[in-house]
Amino acid sequence: MKSDGGVCDEKLYNELFKRHAKDLHNFLYYKYGAENNPGDLVQEAFLKLWNNCHKVEQEKVRSYLFTVANNQMLNELSKKKTVLKYSLEKPKSHTSESPEYVLEEKEYMDKLQNALESLSEQQRVTFLLNRVEGKKHKEIAEMLGISRKAVEKRIYTALGILKEKVGKI
Amino acid sequence: MKNEDYIKKWLEGTLTEDEKRRFEESGDYNSLDKLSKALPAFKAPEYDVAKELLRLEKARSSEIETGKVVSMKWMKPLLRVAAVFILLSIGYVFFVRDSLTTIRTFASEKTEVLLPDSSFVMLNAGSELVYPKKKWNKERTVTLDGEGFFKVAKGSRFDVETQSGVVSVLGTEFNVKNRDGYFEVICYEGLVQVQSRQQTVKLRPNHMFRIINSVATTEELTSQVSPSWLEGESSFKSIPLKYVIKEFERQYDVSVTTGDVDLNQYFTGAFVHNDMILALKSITLPVNISYQVEANKQVILSGNKKID
Repeated sequence: MKSDGGVCDEKLYNELFKRHAKDLHNFLYYKYGAENNPGDLVQEAFLKLWNNCHKVEQEKVRSYLFTVANNQMLNELSKKKTVLKYSLEKPKSHTSESPEYVLEEKEYMDKLQNALESLSEQQRVTFLLNRVEGKKHKEIAEMLGISRKAVEKRIYTALGILKEKVGKI
Repeated sequence: MKNEDYIKKWLEGTLTEDEKRRFEESGDYNSLDKLSKALPAFKAPEYDVAKELLRLEKARSSEIETGKVVSMKWMKPLLRVAAVFILLSIGYVFFVRDSLTTIRTFASEKTEVLLPDSSFVMLNAGSELVYPKKKWNKERTVTLDGEGFFKVAKGSRFDVETQSGVVSVLGTEFNVKNRDGYFEVICYEGLVQVQSRQQTVKLRPNHMFRIINSVATTEELTSQVSPSWLEGESSFKSIPLKYVIKEFERQYDVSVTTGDVDLNQYFTGAFVHNDMILALKSITLPVNISYQVEANKQVILSGNKKID
């Protein structure tokens, strides 16, 4: 058994943080939104890992972290509504825009924001990890512990819902 | 091909040129294209891994402080039996005596400690402070291994015990540094009494008491409000180079190999805590030695160059 000692070694532990923390944070953000403090959840999950470091095998750390963080959120009584934020500053290719255009753009983004927030947690996290973070189906499947087929289906369903809610342009 | 298949292929990015053209003619394409162009704006906020890791280290060291982290895997079965006996035999002792609170800082970390009477201690890197939390009203005594700056609230006698001596005060501000073979107390406000094996001295503001290699000296300093390490800088006045290098190792969590460098030569100067290369230059230039930074937190210093 090569990982009998768990992950109690501090160097290894810090290394694991560097490897997994960002993915875990983004997963929590896309699933539960900014109001539920994804940063704090990552901290708590890693503290739990440290306290149980001799019980967790190195190869299982990733799924342990995702499970623990997710459970913490489910146990949270004061869970807040999912809020996603978007940034309006995009690289502009043209010099000036008419006020109507800016307004329309803002309206569209607000609609899209509402639509994304109305997706189920599962649909949203799958869809955004793929479309925004560019994660491969296989990677997402491992992260969520589901099959690749299920990932594909969720993305397609989510897209359908968004299309319907945002409307034709 | 059905519309659904187009969309699936579009999602995967596997549409051929021909298929793409046909798909673009359908009504769906424009709305999907707009949607996909708008999505990057929803990217998760930037996650600062280094900063968060630092936060985690802080949280973990404060867990040690409250005693939550106890590794006792191997003695678990033993503990179950022992717990009964402990509870029965000496359980009551816990109501009379109280446990000590220990605060530890790791290399390149500083922490603030607020004692029960709101006396304040700033603990420098690689140091340990122990004090009785519950008995504090009766006895203001802390044990220090390392370096700390104290701001003592007015009240009864306040003792700092170290391996090299005891520092006693009423209400005042002072810095105690106790590292291997090196002991230094600087008084910034009020009156401090230092009791070492050799002698007892009373220190007035801006006076320093120091023992290096069992030789004790007292001297007056130019007026300073607080030690420079509180502002992220370590400063030294006529101190053997080896203590400067030790402090550098603690501040940057690195290990220094010194080779043929004369470690007993005196150093006067300072180095900052937030820029390692600048700090290395500040140490090596005045004493005319060269440095080399290696991977794995290693720094190599090499001998005094001969001046032609």
